[in-house]
Amino acid sequence: MVADQSAAQVPLLEGRGLTRIYRMGDTEVAALRGVDFRIDLGENVAIIGPSGSGKSTLLHILGLLDRQSAGQYLFAGVDTDTLDDDRLAVLRNRAIGFIFQSFNLVSGESALENVASPLVYAGVKRRERLDRAQESLVRVGLGDRLHHDPSQLSGGQRQRVAIARALVTRPALILADEPTGNLDSHSSAEVFALLEQLQDQGLTLVTITHDQRIANRAQRILRVEDGSLIDGNAGDSSYLDHAEQGVS
Amino acid sequence: MSYVEALRLALRRLRTNALRTGLTSLGVIIGVASLVALIGVGEGTQTALTKQIAGLGTNLLSVNAGGSLVGGIRGAAGSSSTLSLTDATAIAALPGVLAVAPEMAVPNVVIVSGRANTTTSMTGTTPAEQTVRAYEIQTGSFISDLAVAKGLRVAVLGPTTVTNLNLTPAEVVGSTVTIDGIPFTVIGVTQPKGGSGFSNPDDVVFTPISAVQSRFTGASSLRTVGVSVADPNNIAYVTSEIQATLRLRHALASTASDDFTMVSQNQLLSVASSTTATIRNFLIGIAAIALVVGGIGIANTMLVSVRERVREIGTRKAIGARRRDIGRQFLVEAVIVTLGGAVVGVLLGMAVTGPVGSAVSVPAVPTLGGIALAFGSALVVGIVAGYLPARQASRLDPVEALRYE
Ligand SMILES: Nc1ncnc2c1ncn2[C@@H]1O[C@H](COP(=O)(O)OP(=O)(O)OP(=O)(O)O)[C@@H](O)[C@H]1O
Ligand SMILES: [Mg+2]
Repeated sequence: MVADQSAAQVPLLEGRGLTRIYRMGDTEVAALRGVDFRIDLGENVAIIGPSGSGKSTLLHILGLLDRQSAGQYLFAGVDTDTLDDDRLAVLRNRAIGFIFQSFNLVSGESALENVASPLVYAGVKRRERLDRAQESLVRVGLGDRLHHDPSQLSGGQRQRVAIARALVTRPALILADEPTGNLDSHSSAEVFALLEQLQDQGLTLVTITHDQRIANRAQRILRVEDGSLIDGNAGDSSYLDHAEQGVS
Repeated sequence: MSYVEALRLALRRLRTNALRTGLTSLGVIIGVASLVALIGVGEGTQTALTKQIAGLGTNLLSVNAGGSLVGGIRGAAGSSSTLSLTDATAIAALPGVLAVAPEMAVPNVVIVSGRANTTTSMTGTTPAEQTVRAYEIQTGSFISDLAVAKGLRVAVLGPTTVTNLNLTPAEVVGSTVTIDGIPFTVIGVTQPKGGSGFSNPDDVVFTPISAVQSRFTGASSLRTVGVSVADPNNIAYVTSEIQATLRLRHALASTASDDFTMVSQNQLLSVASSTTATIRNFLIGIAAIALVVGGIGIANTMLVSVRERVREIGTRKAIGARRRDIGRQFLVEAVIVTLGGAVVGVLLGMAVTGPVGSAVSVPAVPTLGGIALAFGSALVVGIVAGYLPARQASRLDPVEALRYE
């Protein structure tokens, strides 16, 4: 859907008046209140903002895991309201790689199997699956940890396995929700270096972060505050909430 | 995700949780094993009974003196003297009758051979008895027409009777035994028919009917007349012929009821098989309950498993699993646990069928039908047990699942 020549003019992700309201009994919580944005192919965007401001809510909608309550979300120019849940699942599988703060690896399965699992849903044959998973693990520097269980890996290694898993389908878009949030400064540096490589290779990268270094590397910073969006410029650290810069 | 992938995933998961898998499938193992064993025992009972009844004779139609049973008590006094030798001769003359053996029974005779003795029942009869009651001779010969004509004191013993006298067939043939004090020469021993209990067909003594008449009963009344019908399809016709003949000979008024009863081998067979079928269905019912309980155990464990793996489900959805992929994963897992249990259960059931059978004196063997039924039911149980947990897992909202602590 992104293949023709006019693709360059179509933003990869576009939100128009995105609103997300959670209903809990009688009370309503507006996590997003009419958010507009465009993110182009190959961009590197950091999402920052205070806790509870709606960053994860936004990322879940970007990643087709959740749907907005009102407004319009276009993925590669396609209105996501026209896509059913199965189509969204297929898009997540082919076009998006997720990196979570808490890694979300499946224990009981080796690093190799974890990395290969998106390819299972893509219908890739086992032989090719394992080859590609191994390739992906080598790429994140874990070529010697293929058969380890996640419980036998350090936090930084686990996150690198998760990154390998996100990369294995060669997606256009990587979405990361505080990827260094659970890591010490050394492991953060490793993961940070990996994400930098991805940027250089031209992937579209959207990262929620409290880490100033990641934010500084971004071409653009989206600041979320109480469900609303303030567009900022790269390297403009004034957009970072000073109370949240502690870890770096 | 294909079923092959779901299978691969399920096997990996079940292997890492081997103990839980084993305990979960225990219910199914027990259910399937009891299904296999109890069906085996049920079939064994049926086969044994059928064989025993088949061994009773050749297209046997047994005509008994006395009217039909009323409230479990045979009719009027003297009714046991309604059959005579001439009745038997008349029956033998009817078309479609292959052989007729008049039988004069003397219960509880004492046979003495040397120092050994045994008590059994004696039947005075004719050579036709061998055909009618389907006896084979293993040593010596059966009663001859000559022996009947001359009222010779010769006897044919059953193999159990011989054993009870502490003798072998070879030893006993040609020897003299006394029956209630009267000496008889043993001329033959019958082949064992198998069977046991109250009327053991191997614990018998046959003598010429003329000898019994002159030495023991003195009368000419018969307890039973055994009739062998030439063509098994003709049994109903022959039955009505015999009935008409006997009613005529006994000069019964058209309003009077029969003073004799007839039982065919087929009737015995159908009564026996309907009884054993009832028992078998009852046993299958009990085993099926065990299997259902096993299925509930699996459903329960799967529900717990879904709860434990909410984050995994959320993650799988994030990386591209559709609802049906998740559902399939859990369904296949439940079915695999069930089928694994079924395989072990079938093996266990096959192993215990024999011992369980001999505990109730039935030669039981596991049947292919029983194994197929047990396996098929287990598959159904697995699918039903896995359905609800699988549906629950597939419907989890990915964001909620990822947030789940
Ligand atoms: N399932 C839900 N039900 C009700 N309210 C919710 C739900 N999920 C999120 N919220 C609310 O929506 C708001 C935004 O939540 P969100 O997780 O997007 O914040 P965040 O910016 O990611 O915060 P953090 O930096 O702490 O991760 C919060 O006020 C939160 O309480
Ligand atoms: Mg968040």
